[in-house]
Amino acid sequence: MRGKGGKDMKASKVKIIGKKKIKDLLREASQEWNVYVPQKWSDGDVWMDQLPKDKQMLDEALEDVVLEDVDTVISPKDIFFPQLESIFKFKDDKIWETPEFSPKLIFGVQPCDLKGILFSDDFYRRNFEDRYYVSRIQNRLIVARGCLRPPRPTCFCSSAKTGPFAEDGFDLQLVDFGDSYFVEVGTREGEEFITMHKKFFSEPDGNYDMTIKEIKTKACDSLELKVDFQNALSLMAQDSFIPEENYRRIGERCIYCGGCLYVCPTCTCFNVFDNVKDKEGERVRNWDACVFEGYTRETSGHNPRKDKWLRTARRYEHKLKFDYKVTGLSGCIACGRCLSSCPVGIGISKFIQEITEKRKIM
Amino acid sequence: MENNIYIPDLARITRIETVTPLEKIFDISFIEKEAQKKFNFLPGQFVELTVFGVGEAPFSITSNPNNKDKFQLCIRAVGSVSKAIHALKEGARVGIRGPFGKGTFPYKEAKGHNVLAIAGGLGLAPLMSFLTYVMDFRDQYKNLMIIYGAVNPTNILYKNEIAYWNSRDDVSVCVTVDNPDDKWTGEIGVCTKLIPRVDFKPDDTYTIVCGPPVMYKYVVVELEKKNFKEDKIFLSLERRMECGVGKCNHCHIGDKLACVDGPVFRLWDVRNLKEAI
Repeated sequence: MRGKGGKDMKASKVKIIGKKKIKDLLREASQEWNVYVPQKWSDGDVWMDQLPKDKQMLDEALEDVVLEDVDTVISPKDIFFPQLESIFKFKDDKIWETPEFSPKLIFGVQPCDLKGILFSDDFYRRNFEDRYYVSRIQNRLIVARGCLRPPRPTCFCSSAKTGPFAEDGFDLQLVDFGDSYFVEVGTREGEEFITMHKKFFSEPDGNYDMTIKEIKTKACDSLELKVDFQNALSLMAQDSFIPEENYRRIGERCIYCGGCLYVCPTCTCFNVFDNVKDKEGERVRNWDACVFEGYTRETSGHNPRKDKWLRTARRYEHKLKFDYKVTGLSGCIACGRCLSSCPVGIGISKFIQEITEKRKIM
Repeated sequence: MENNIYIPDLARITRIETVTPLEKIFDISFIEKEAQKKFNFLPGQFVELTVFGVGEAPFSITSNPNNKDKFQLCIRAVGSVSKAIHALKEGARVGIRGPFGKGTFPYKEAKGHNVLAIAGGLGLAPLMSFLTYVMDFRDQYKNLMIIYGAVNPTNILYKNEIAYWNSRDDVSVCVTVDNPDDKWTGEIGVCTKLIPRVDFKPDDTYTIVCGPPVMYKYVVVELEKKNFKEDKIFLSLERRMECGVGKCNHCHIGDKLACVDGPVFRLWDVRNLKEAI
């Protein structure tokens, strides 16, 4: 009840925080949460990394926090779906499961990556709840950070409507406004977080709604790469439209390194294997990639996807056709990482341009 | 550890039968009575078998679903897990998850109709869950014909069952081998050669097929020459699997998953999918 005279009785769903206060907020929040935030490493790469708990190390890490024009090398998916993860351990006739439950504050998530997280959430809850994924997300707060400018030249979120600002799915969203951020509140949990740390936040003045709208429109206009995303989904949905020749041509150039799949926010394939050390065993799962020849190779040696072009087709069809058919959502969230990470210049945005503009690009 | 689909239940190998130079049949029972009680499978389903420390692999259940105190797997020693289980002795402990797979053989739908079973090599093993079920309720089905092709006479699986089927006048069995030995007096050649001889009415016949991947497209061609209907032909499409529950994604066939939507598919549902057959 902050409003005066009954005109604005409800607290607004938008707060404001000075940029200078962010470090102190993160320092305070890290007492309760495992805080993940983009940090610039000495080599210049930015990773969505966990802040250390040790006081001195935390202070040092906070100096490396970056929130603007951030191109995190990989998506934050590894917070919930680690590259290598223990499923259970076993010794003699005992088996014990090893899920992870820590409270996680993910701070500064790009809107496209947020879509990726929500996509994976849905995938790992579909049909049954994946114990490991669901335990990792059960106590989680997401602070999204809209992009004023595309962090990668390959970004095409405005075409897929997955950015540059999120419309929903966040607990809080930062809107860059000079030396402060507007903080949009998306959920009750987000509101509680602000209440817990209220000394860092204040009420915005004036016609802030209009200001936020202008910021978002300008951000949207800043994306130069535009593709006909919806048309691509429609074309992919028509079973036999994409000529095999397209896949064969791309497949000839692909070096099948799997890089695009590791950086992809929605790639969730994994392998399962056992490790044994000193009579104690552990079953683990680790990331796999459908472009690898061994991915579908059977014990007999038979491989239904031995041909390169079939693996190329699989990749595009999974993202743009089958995911869409099963969930109504595209499996590509238009972050552009596949193209920015590809050594030979192959990416989903280019594939979309090829099929919608009917010309060879790759 | 309730509700965690990734954790195997402990089970014991109660009997091992060496059936060919390559294959053994394993009888398996759960150690916990509760686990045994809730393990009810349908013909065509599979389990994920763990040899602790080696890993996990999917195997079709080969025994009669009506047998509730144990189940059987027929395993060829080719991969790390299958070789490891071949090295185990009776009484050894393994882990079992499952049964998995929604796509089963049409044991209900085929009632009141002819059944044609076509198996190639180790493909006979998954069909056994269905065929033993049909034999239990033999009067509920019309004609039953089993076509089985093996590489050579020593590789023939389930010799006792084949002899039993041969002894009955309500089952017709044709076994053919690619490489006969001196004693072989039966059919020679691949099993597709026998399909033209089938005299069942196409509209009234359910066909189930399981064999090596290369076999399917030739079998389907022969069946369709005789006007067998694609909505009454069922194929067991096995793929590399890791999790068995639709998360690791290795067994994708188009938008379907062999582990969840299969492993048995109606030809109608998969024939236009890349890589299916």
